[in-house]
Amino acid sequence: MTPGMFPTRQADLALTPPRALGDGPRDAPSPGAAPPDAGPADTEAETDAVAETETDAVAEASASAGLEASGAAVDDADADVGGVLLDGVVKRYGTQTVLDVPRLHIPHRSFTVLVGPSGCGKSTGLRVVSGLETPDSGTVMINGRDVTTTPPGGRGVSMVFQDFALYPHLTVEQNIAFSLRLEAKHDRRGGPSRAEIARRVTDACEMLGLQPLRRRRPGQLSGGERQRVGVARAIVRRPGVLLLDEPLSALDAQLRQHARAELIRLHRELGNTVILVTHDQLEALSMGTHLVVMKAGRIVQAGSPSDVYRRPAHTFVATFVGSPAMNLHHVDVVSDAQGSRLTAAGMWATVPTAIPLPRVRVGWRPADGTLEPFAAGRPSEPGLSVEGTVDVIEFTGDTAVVHGISQGAAAGRSAHDLPWTVVIPARQPAPAVGERVTVRVPHTHLHLFDPDDGHRLAEGAVG
Amino acid sequence: MRSRDPGLAALAGPAGPPAPPAGRDSPPDPPDRTGLPGRGARSGWAGGARGAGRHAVLALTAVGVLFPLLWGLSGSFKPGTDVFDANPLPIPATLANYRFALEDFPIARLLLNTFITAAGVTLLQLGAGVLAAWSFVRFSHRGQRVVLAMVTVALVVPPQALIIPQFLMISHLHLRDTFVGLVVPQLSTCALAVLLLREHIRSIPPTLLGAATLDGATHGETLRLVVLPLLRPALSAVAIIVFITTWNEYLWPALAAPSPEHTTIQMGLRLFSNQEGPDYGPLLAAAMLATLPVVAVYLLASRRITDAFLQSGLR
Repeated sequence: MTPGMFPTRQADLALTPPRALGDGPRDAPSPGAAPPDAGPADTEAETDAVAETETDAVAEASASAGLEASGAAVDDADADVGGVLLDGVVKRYGTQTVLDVPRLHIPHRSFTVLVGPSGCGKSTGLRVVSGLETPDSGTVMINGRDVTTTPPGGRGVSMVFQDFALYPHLTVEQNIAFSLRLEAKHDRRGGPSRAEIARRVTDACEMLGLQPLRRRRPGQLSGGERQRVGVARAIVRRPGVLLLDEPLSALDAQLRQHARAELIRLHRELGNTVILVTHDQLEALSMGTHLVVMKAGRIVQAGSPSDVYRRPAHTFVATFVGSPAMNLHHVDVVSDAQGSRLTAAGMWATVPTAIPLPRVRVGWRPADGTLEPFAAGRPSEPGLSVEGTVDVIEFTGDTAVVHGISQGAAAGRSAHDLPWTVVIPARQPAPAVGERVTVRVPHTHLHLFDPDDGHRLAEGAVG
Repeated sequence: MRSRDPGLAALAGPAGPPAPPAGRDSPPDPPDRTGLPGRGARSGWAGGARGAGRHAVLALTAVGVLFPLLWGLSGSFKPGTDVFDANPLPIPATLANYRFALEDFPIARLLLNTFITAAGVTLLQLGAGVLAAWSFVRFSHRGQRVVLAMVTVALVVPPQALIIPQFLMISHLHLRDTFVGLVVPQLSTCALAVLLLREHIRSIPPTLLGAATLDGATHGETLRLVVLPLLRPALSAVAIIVFITTWNEYLWPALAAPSPEHTTIQMGLRLFSNQEGPDYGPLLAAAMLATLPVVAVYLLASRRITDAFLQSGLR
């Protein structure tokens, strides 16, 4: 074993964005690489908020680096920072485990997105935080307070439901005031006064442009208006944590774009912790400052959106996050002192590192490849070359997605054709269908995964 | 729920079973109906025939249902022994029966008793039904399925089977001839209310209840502020059914409160019998008067009833 070898097949390594990934130049989060939700800075407050969430995200990335491995000192640090902490939370329905989270810290004041395919436990996770579900084991901490046994109303959280769940028999303002009225009733001395309620309801209505609709009933509102009422009802309590359960899925496409920006702006203005659940990876990438990818009740990866996108910890994340999905190929490995050569049908690659596995899966983002006319021979610089023929071209406006096929016969090993996609700028002349082409990917943009369990092989010189 | 409108059904008895007259009346109907589409639209003959058949069935049913009622109505206007006439129309007509019923018998008192009883049973059943249904939906506890099964069984147990134990119970408690004894045991038929309300509560989106919980509402507040307002159509439907059923109840009032001070109108109709047998004219008049409040209630609320039964969802 040479010192440069990859540590492989370490489950805990792959489950997490390895701390080592901070070494790469692209990992230092520069202000320029601020998450997409930051947008252009108009106000000072906004800049502050962005800076803060950004710092949190970085702190979190290292704090949650080892899910099981993280030390007690880190635990305490998390608790002090605030935010939401799930520790050893397990939720079962009958014999089925729907949620199994050894440890998840959602940074204070972050916009965290739980994303995953349907049935992956993300909504259950949200309901566990809200208190609507009680975990079978483990603890839930919100801003440093153990709320595992606290009833939902006392947790300082509020929620926007997928169907908005507005009370159909109450007007918009009654819907929004509902929780405050209850609070006033339960706590006559410390609760909000009548004037206070009126003021806060008006504030919430103004914030979401609901003033003209105050006396309407939910049945008289459009989908977008209902969604805004749902949000207003949630924020009027000034919750420490705002939970959003697929709040955009009931809206049509145009409205969704608009509502997305509205929610991001809202988070900026409120400055509280927001947890959003979605199955839409684009929504997840574009809205969150912190991303948690889930599958089958488990967390596959947690980190900043750019981190998750650039360094997927697992082939599942690699294919789930990003569209078109990352290309993945099984390749054979031959390593020597100079590095490794990876070969498969119609493709070969050289990387300047030794790989201790006979086979790996190599992945590359469609946008990282460049399309060139077919050229025989192997380039001398390290990187990946894929030969194939163009099958389908999708024009999407600014770009075109080229679907190609590499014939398996070239390697003589497998007769299966290997499909791949590459995104090219639309101004580049598109190849003809059936044309033979070569795709080149620089070796720095290659991702290597364990072929058996799908975990990412550590970075070293490859990434 | 015990004996279905015993007053009217019993009264209609002497007038003959409803089916034969209906059969006699109906033959003119179908040819009449088939003639209509045959004249105009040749293309729709088959459909017209089918429609006519359907109308014939409906007409038969309507006649069967309405005949006893109309016969009783007609009889209540007939003087003296004319009641036994085959003449369907009260000619000559008289209001003497009504005067007799209103003046010589405590019919107002009987109607008031009936109203108190029916309203009391309705309120009790709604209260118990809402709370039971809510607990079925909201809480899950050990043996809940067994309890639910028992409620369903209670629905099919004939109420007559419970009469003797209930009678013994109120006798031992010295509650005979009191409103409490008359009203409270009738709570035993609340299974229908429980099951119907449970279905309606189940159709409320769970996220709505979750939203109330997150807003800080207790279980009671969720029930009061969110569930009950949404349940209003179902509540009025159940209320009307229970009210009408209780109003028409005969057997239990006859046993539990036979005295005129506490008994209901259905039982009170028996006061029109003397040693020579029933005095049919005034009896029919009183029966008509006893029916009026129920008809009024139904007419006022019939849309709500059908709505509540037809629509299971809320939105």
